[in-house]
Amino acid sequence: MLSRVAASFYWLSRYIERSDGMLRMLKINYASSQDTVQEFTWEPVIRIFVGLHETDADTLDNDSRSVLKYMVTGKNNPNSILNIITLARENARGVQEHITKDLWQCLNEYYHTVKDPRIERALQREDPIGVLDVLIKQVMLYYGTVEITMERGEGRSFMNIGKYLERAIQSVDILDTKFSSVSDNPNLLTDTTYWKHLLLSLGGYELYLKTYREGFEAENILEQVVLNNDFPRSVIYSVNNIQRYFDRLKNDTNVDTYREMSFQIGRLQSRIKYSSVRSIRQEGLHGFLTQIRNELYSVGNSLNEYYFANS
Amino acid sequence: MKESAYFNQYTPINGVWDEMYGTNCNVRDHYLKVIEYISKESADDLNKKEELAKSLFMSQGITFTVYNSGEGIEKIFPFDIIPRIITASEWAFVEKGIKQRLTALNLFLKDIYNNQFIVKDGIVPIDIIYSCPHFLREMYQLKVPYDIYVHISGIDLIRDEDGTFYVLEDNLRTPSGVSYMLENREITKRLFPDLLPQCGVRSVTEYPTILYKNLLALSPRQISNPTIVLLSPGIYNSAYFEHTTLARLMGVELVEGRDLVVNNHKVYMKTTTGLQQVDVIYRRVDDEYLDPLVFNPESMLGVAGIMGAYRKGNVAIVNAIGTGVADDKAVYAYVPDMIRYYLNEEPILKNVPTHQLGNPDEREHVFKNLNNMVVKKTNGSGGYGMLMGHAASEQEIDDYKKEILKDPRNFIAQPTISLSAAPCYMQGLLKPRRVDLRPYALYGPDGIEIVPGGLTRVALKEGSLVVNSSQGGGSKDTWVLA
Repeated sequence: MLSRVAASFYWLSRYIERSDGMLRMLKINYASSQDTVQEFTWEPVIRIFVGLHETDADTLDNDSRSVLKYMVTGKNNPNSILNIITLARENARGVQEHITKDLWQCLNEYYHTVKDPRIERALQREDPIGVLDVLIKQVMLYYGTVEITMERGEGRSFMNIGKYLERAIQSVDILDTKFSSVSDNPNLLTDTTYWKHLLLSLGGYELYLKTYREGFEAENILEQVVLNNDFPRSVIYSVNNIQRYFDRLKNDTNVDTYREMSFQIGRLQSRIKYSSVRSIRQEGLHGFLTQIRNELYSVGNSLNEYYFANS
Repeated sequence: MKESAYFNQYTPINGVWDEMYGTNCNVRDHYLKVIEYISKESADDLNKKEELAKSLFMSQGITFTVYNSGEGIEKIFPFDIIPRIITASEWAFVEKGIKQRLTALNLFLKDIYNNQFIVKDGIVPIDIIYSCPHFLREMYQLKVPYDIYVHISGIDLIRDEDGTFYVLEDNLRTPSGVSYMLENREITKRLFPDLLPQCGVRSVTEYPTILYKNLLALSPRQISNPTIVLLSPGIYNSAYFEHTTLARLMGVELVEGRDLVVNNHKVYMKTTTGLQQVDVIYRRVDDEYLDPLVFNPESMLGVAGIMGAYRKGNVAIVNAIGTGVADDKAVYAYVPDMIRYYLNEEPILKNVPTHQLGNPDEREHVFKNLNNMVVKKTNGSGGYGMLMGHAASEQEIDDYKKEILKDPRNFIAQPTISLSAAPCYMQGLLKPRRVDLRPYALYGPDGIEIVPGGLTRVALKEGSLVVNSSQGGGSKDTWVLA
């Protein structure tokens, strides 16, 4: 497979996964903003998905409708849904003859849906949850189409590596942001709606209820999001999948690079697998998450160097 | 047959050959079934079909992007739902004519890049060749596989008022539009269910198969599975959709210049498992951008060193480099002489009479009759930089004359040929609009094959004679009857 094609698969998939995470986050946060007597703050969401250094974000004044507009259809926000779907589609366009026609049409439809001026209008005037649901459905269609139509080859391995790398980074970022807000404001530690919304935005609420009986405890949430291999958005589940799909890239001509990256991913996997809530607490959550994040980034860099010929 | 409302309100243009409207105010036989079919549909139904066609083009991403105030706006190439129909006998004539013309043009290229007999025998003047920017000295005595230069061509045909076919242009470099021939047919299948088999329309789906077979035969390495690639300038090229369609239909790799690298006069592509040698390149990048070491040094689209690999015979390039000298508009005037010279045959397809403005006598004549002339740049394309004498103002004509006098070699003039008209569906009515025809000919080691069909371009503006998509043109499905 051409290096450029592999890179496009990887980025296509990362962008789509990012849009999925963002949309769910926005939906739950909006719902939560309707459900609180205290001042609701959008700051963590913006911090996770945009980065506060973006000056535009400062002018949003914590107003839900302006935040949604900025995050979904904002043209000046490089990480808005509109802009990342445009990038996803350009990557797909560059590998059009490698993806199925169904998948291309599906992405096209997602793009045209986001681009439709009615979406922006509805986001301002109508029920935003309805709008976000329409977009979330587009992502689900995408994943369904990939599952049903895409050939189980090298391309799909790169797609899955991209998808799970993006997901792991997102889960780490979300945890880091949410827990650092707690250390600034210890009252949140006992605020059940705070933790409930965190779980809802990751889609892990139902699993949590089934696993833990004693209500919303920060440590249990940490355990589920980092260490529970049955939770599809946990860090360990994502890293296991990176490892799984990376394994499939092994072949006779790339033994050295394969061995090097395999070592790197294996080390990361063990680092998480042989941690416990207690050991993480001992070494400090923020330090632990920062280390994991850096390791995930360096997996991305190695792919760039060894497989995408971008060194 | 009882004539339908759609036909009754149809007014053909005076003095223009109408593809549907016969001499005795009757529908020509080959259009009967289509007219009968659409007569059963209300204007509402047809509008719905038009909408369906648009949404099919849109959802399949068959679009080109127009950049306006920094924002890309996607547009579809306008499509008219009424097919353009060509009878079996018309097609047989066209097919024969194109094969003859293409054979001669290919012999001309071989000759001009080797011994230049045609120049030595005084048939084609040497200054016309050497002043042509597409004549590339780098091709001199370079041996190409099977002596084939023009593997893919799209010769543009038009019909004058009595229906005679003329060749308007020979497109021998990287003719585009064939994906529209294929996609338009797919859309028509959806718009008019069952109508195609009823009318006995010949299939166009063989095109990618034949092209692939020809590419495969060119591989310099005698191995069972040579690497064939389609070289595209990338996703921002207006024909990118076509590149992906062809790559997909042939199952070949679509590459960009940055995916390729030359080492030791061999071309390789960069893959996730290392370098892989490339044998055949169907390139959609112009000569000028192909190799920054030999041609335009600024080019980011090409591959450094590819010309060396080509000269060594380590890679086949389709179409061959330097074919532009044969479709230059000044050389065009000599094509009938070439056919007589190389084949000892009379040309089957007519040339539009062409005046070289480099020649003072002819220039004099043209300047006197500019109102009835079309003046074109010899290396222009896409309908840009043309002067349509019958529609231009005094001021425009004077300005254009000054432009011509700066470098007369760069201009030719032709009498205004009134293109034939075909019915188009416009807001509930059928209206005549001017059309041309571009069949695609594939030249392989087994000879020339022409898929029965082609691209019919149509000037959608009332009264317009310019069919180029950049100038408000659209396209139609083109039916060749069995």
